[in-house]
Amino acid sequence: MRIQVKRTGGFAGITRRAEVDTSGRPDAAEWHALAEEAAAEGRGEPPAGVPDGFRYEITLDGERTVRCADPRIGAAQRKLITRVLKEGA
Amino acid sequence: MTALRVEATHPVFCTIIPPHLLDRLAQSDDEARAGRARRTLERDAAQRIRRREAAPPAATEPAAEEKPNRTIYDAGKVETLPGTKVRGEGDEAVKDASVNRAYAGLGSTFELFLKGFERNSIDGEGLALDATVHYGQEYNNAFWDGHQMVFGDGDGEIFNDFTTSLDVIGHELAHGVTQYTANLDYQGQAGALNESVSDVFGSLVKQYALGQTAEEADWLIGADLLAGAVEGKALRSMKAPGTAYDDDVLGKDPQPGSMDGYVDTTEDNGGVHINSGIPNRAFYEVATAIGGKAWERAGQIWYDVLTGGKLAKDANFAAFAQLTVAAAQKRYGKDSKELAAVQKGWSEVGVTPADEAGSPEADTTPCE
Repeated sequence: MRIQVKRTGGFAGITRRAEVDTSGRPDAAEWHALAEEAAAEGRGEPPAGVPDGFRYEITLDGERTVRCADPRIGAAQRKLITRVLKEGA
Repeated sequence: MTALRVEATHPVFCTIIPPHLLDRLAQSDDEARAGRARRTLERDAAQRIRRREAAPPAATEPAAEEKPNRTIYDAGKVETLPGTKVRGEGDEAVKDASVNRAYAGLGSTFELFLKGFERNSIDGEGLALDATVHYGQEYNNAFWDGHQMVFGDGDGEIFNDFTTSLDVIGHELAHGVTQYTANLDYQGQAGALNESVSDVFGSLVKQYALGQTAEEADWLIGADLLAGAVEGKALRSMKAPGTAYDDDVLGKDPQPGSMDGYVDTTEDNGGVHINSGIPNRAFYEVATAIGGKAWERAGQIWYDVLTGGKLAKDANFAAFAQLTVAAAQKRYGKDSKELAAVQKGWSEVGVTPADEAGSPEADTTPCE
């Protein structure tokens, strides 16, 4: 599974993108479960967000995109976004 | 605290962190904390000249409605708001420098709006000022959530603690002022104006606290925010948009300084943090052309527009520019240097004021 995260907005207004390809990873199952959970928490429509808040897009296998925005994002979304931005390329 | 004293004639609200406490922090075994304390000490030295610490309740206490009502919360590195209350109004400084910086920054912001514009807090009616620090893990951001300010610690590699720049604190609270007044949309040109208004008043908070003239001010946003290894001097430059940073990790400051460079994008709500460079520079040009303290006249004109009731939620740059022209003329007269400065300022950045506020025939690039 290809998990892409795009973060836009924020006080700095700097966009960040990162991607994790889980194929061949020993922890692939864990990633998949987290990704599905995050997707279930989200919605396709862009949320309203708040001034200077980060906006996020999570895309799974280039097909499904869910959107969320600080500060009201799901726990699984937060965990997935943090991991992808940290470990992804 | 032993440094308190009563200032009888000029009640002031901003409390600075007691220097002895910062000194102690600066010698802390915790390198990160020590470094931050040292930086704060250096920066605060200039501000200390101007500020005085007012004693808590005294015979000379100002009217209750003209005092800030601050509460600082600690989120404990998770994302739950508001967190645990760690310092209330009038409480002594605590050991946590982030808490004290947020407290002092809220006070400085309150003071600018009260003294500079006779506005009693964000809503004009003494709204309580709440802020949460230590939001999230190494969280690289600060925001206004519609009710309160929220500050992350930064990751220490790219960004420092978001309470380190006074203009950042002022910026977030100014979003609150905008919300309670013109309530500009956070999208496209209106969104860029919303952002610019926050940068303008954020910078004015800093200039007011430092007692700087327009010529003396650095016109930078987030000058203390970039961590040591980052190639740059701040996050944004109102004086020279696009020149604040140029770094391997962060990239290059993308802000345009005039309509020639207007960026059409769907990201960041239509580039609200990018195209804000255009009205930011217009304000800088106006303030430096008028000269003196920027909040006294240029800031007053911008404030008149923000609170005047004529600024549409979806205003574009041209509509905003027209309202600043009208405000300058109303306040200072049609032959005033203030009006001439406003007209020249917008001309410098390639914005032609709309014939009528909100006119769709604005001579600016439409967004999205």
